[in-house]
Amino acid sequence: MARFYLENGKVAAFIGHLQQQKTVYAPHRKGRNAFAFAPVDRPQDVVLDYPRTVSSIKRYFLPPREELLSFNLVENTCEQPVVAPLDAVFLGVHSYDVHAVLKLDHNFVSGNPERNYLTRRQGALIVGVGFTPDRFHFSGSVGVPAGDTTGCDLFLHPCEGGYALEALTPDGEGLVAGFPLPAHTAGLPAAAPFHQHIYVPQAKLKDVLAHGYDSEVWEEEAEKCTSCGTCNLVCPTCYCFDVEDAVDITVTRGSRERRWDGCLLRSFTEVAGGEVFREEPAARQRHRVFRKFKYISDETGEPWCVGCGRCTASCTAGISIVSIVNRLVNDHDAVKA
Amino acid sequence: MTKRELITPAATKDLYLPVMAEITDVRSMTPLEKLFEIRLPGGAELGHRPGQFVEVSLFGVGEAPISISSSPTRKGAFELGIRKVGMLTEMIHRMQPGERIGIRGPFGSGFDMAKFKGRDVLVVAGGIGLVPLRSLINYVLDNRGDFGRLIICYGSKSDADLLFEDERRLWERDPRVEFHLTVDRGSPGWQGRTGVITTLIPGLDLDLPNTLACVCGPPVMYRFVLLALKSKRLPEENIYMSLERRMKCGVGKCGHCQINGSYVCQDGPVYHYPDIKALREAL
Repeated sequence: MARFYLENGKVAAFIGHLQQQKTVYAPHRKGRNAFAFAPVDRPQDVVLDYPRTVSSIKRYFLPPREELLSFNLVENTCEQPVVAPLDAVFLGVHSYDVHAVLKLDHNFVSGNPERNYLTRRQGALIVGVGFTPDRFHFSGSVGVPAGDTTGCDLFLHPCEGGYALEALTPDGEGLVAGFPLPAHTAGLPAAAPFHQHIYVPQAKLKDVLAHGYDSEVWEEEAEKCTSCGTCNLVCPTCYCFDVEDAVDITVTRGSRERRWDGCLLRSFTEVAGGEVFREEPAARQRHRVFRKFKYISDETGEPWCVGCGRCTASCTAGISIVSIVNRLVNDHDAVKA
Repeated sequence: MTKRELITPAATKDLYLPVMAEITDVRSMTPLEKLFEIRLPGGAELGHRPGQFVEVSLFGVGEAPISISSSPTRKGAFELGIRKVGMLTEMIHRMQPGERIGIRGPFGSGFDMAKFKGRDVLVVAGGIGLVPLRSLINYVLDNRGDFGRLIICYGSKSDADLLFEDERRLWERDPRVEFHLTVDRGSPGWQGRTGVITTLIPGLDLDLPNTLACVCGPPVMYRFVLLALKSKRLPEENIYMSLERRMKCGVGKCGHCQINGSYVCQDGPVYHYPDIKALREAL
């Protein structure tokens, strides 16, 4: 498909062109050093060159809090809220976050397909953007180079003086239509290198993890872990949720809400009567890492971590998922050697 | 990568919407446990297998997984044996016939009764583990000709905690049932057997390859029952067990019930032992 040249001076006008078609969500600066996706008001506020957003675009398809039912306590009846489709373009999404959405798609399509997620996700178009890996990114080790266009409708490859805008789907071409741009004829610049790597190819990770089930690394890392669950909150592929009822102040109405939950929290596996099935922080650490590199991979053949580095960048105790995995790799290879 | 055309709500069901069902009978079993008879709108059948569970909810209080205690052979209503352990079950315990509660399900694997045809059935129930296994017991009794011996080993903390008193007395008298009962600690005057549930197993006379064991009880029980069954030389592939976890959504989405990579609400709560033997978090 076509490739256009979008010079820096035209980016704001292009965003304006997108805004005429759909609601546009894009990264904005928040405070001094943080970035977050938000609906675009003024195109000039959009930041396309950023290290990572605090949370991914997951929150637009699987909101942190969401009403599953609203009920009338007087009549003892309930109904499901009507979920509005998102007629939106997500602009400036890094490749690993697009991959994360594709993984969430798998989770919400498989088994029992879920209406709320799929309704929001269905009409969403994605405009990816290349990024320069910082010291936390490692998506190259889990199959996502910095310029990977998988799952995007359009992709902005950073190049001299602007972007090579690549149209990848008919929907993507439709977004560009009516905005005159010259063709981009030069080749694409090579994707930027990563500074962090998992030492083995992704296909081997399942074996490495299986071998490391009883590794001392879980205990050692758990000693630092405060079980705050931040790693779960910022993870773009975590989708576990809790469900709680809330009653309004008149005690006549209320709602059943789902909220993001995290497997690092002690209460996650607690059942009535007080039994907790992953009581030790080490067991919870292991569960999270196994979820990312083994359990779901056993079914899908892909790691369920996209290498965004958020869990490590925001860990309050300095725990690094790459260090854990590489430690397991070393242990595994030491036995083999 | 999921195909674009699959990302559509077109084929989705009402995953989280309960049906409002009526409580038609409430029987107190112990100070902590009550048996609720529940009727779906229009007397519709729940359509469950023994070993499955439903999500029970009260608006404004919450929702919890509860195993189904009645056999699908008993039509028109189903029964839930509910222990009072938290806010939701406390509120349910206060409910009377005629009141309505939310039901979703049935969910989970349950026992595949076709695999039990012609086999001897050994039920090992510890405490409240009898609640789901009663569904299986009554299924066997209602289709008695389809199965071999029915051996029930039931262990409880004390004689005051024993469940399903009327039925227990029937099973004790029924010549088609071999019923063994023990309590960990009997109260003064307790005439029956004392000791943990595993003490019932060595004395059983089992037709080994033909016997299928179904185990359910508190988490601590499984390892010891397995050891006892192994020392009887019961093959592993003859063992089924129902496990408790936090099945919050029931539809394989919320993540709470996972044992390693297995979703209990989808693959369990009834597991064939060889399938979970390698799951380190299972037992």
